Amino acid sequence: MKYVKWTFRITLILLAAGFLHYTLPQHDIVRITNTYNRLTAISSSNSWAYASPDSGTAITDGPRDIRFVEAVYADESVMVYRNEDTGWVWPPYFKYDSSNLQAEAANLKSTKAAPIWVSVTHYGWRLPILSIYPNAVSVREVAGPDVRIIPYVNIIVLIMLALGAFMIRRIWLQFWERTIEPAVAEVQETWDGVEARADTARAGAKGFFARLIARFKSK
Amino acid sequence: MIGLIKLIVFGFLGLSVIYLTMRIYAASTERERLERIFDAGGIEGDRDSFVRAGMKDYHSSLRHKLLILICIIPTIAIFLTAYLVNHQ
Repeated sequence: MKYVKWTFRITLILLAAGFLHYTLPQHDIVRITNTYNRLTAISSSNSWAYASPDSGTAITDGPRDIRFVEAVYADESVMVYRNEDTGWVWPPYFKYDSSNLQAEAANLKSTKAAPIWVSVTHYGWRLPILSIYPNAVSVREVAGPDVRIIPYVNIIVLIMLALGAFMIRRIWLQFWERTIEPAVAEVQETWDGVEARADTARAGAKGFFARLIARFKSK
Repeated sequence: MIGLIKLIVFGFLGLSVIYLTMRIYAASTERERLERIFDAGGIEGDRDSFVRAGMKDYHSSLRHKLLILICIIPTIAIFLTAYLVNHQ
């Protein structure tokens, strides 16, 4: 039972952590090498990692034209971002300027000889096996590959989530203390009343039998 | 555009639920606080009427009215996010 409980808890924690890791913004310091769009087939296994069909740049189901941005890290490893509108519900970036972002990214293209380092804000994962790409949200030129970026958005969001969890707990405890416990106490009192009546009845019954036996004995 | 309507409808519903829950919670803690004050002693009169008068004051207080920020702040946050993401 202990193992079942812990397996359940750890799975839950991993799911929550994975969800946050996918959704929260991250910053990569990269050099943009290419920007293009390519007709991309989306299957049922990876459609969750693409824009929903009704949001901005993704008008139809099936293969669609998606904008991509290719980039290189300072250590020469590569990354490919997609550049799609997010729509208005989830993930809550409310991005509708994909065309502008593509133009900005194209403007920041650079060569190995004369690198322009940019900070690409994105969410999502690059998983080649599922053909999924992180979605670029914004690009900004930075001084060099070693710039340190403080993730203010993540700090604020995580603090708000922790605060929310704390408040839900407080509300639940308050509800328990002020609503459930008095109700239980009331039921208990009623029940005690029932028991007391049963006790007197039993005492009376005992008296009755005792009297009967006494009368029988006396004869 | 459908997405925006979805956001408005579900956002309104979600925020309403959170707002009403917080309203009930805040009123409950206020009632508890008033009861504690009365139970500490030194107050003339009936416990129920003391709490009722305190709750009436609470409902016209700024603290109670500021709860509407639960609806306003996320709305501002959404517009701010949209602005920061989409405008250079």
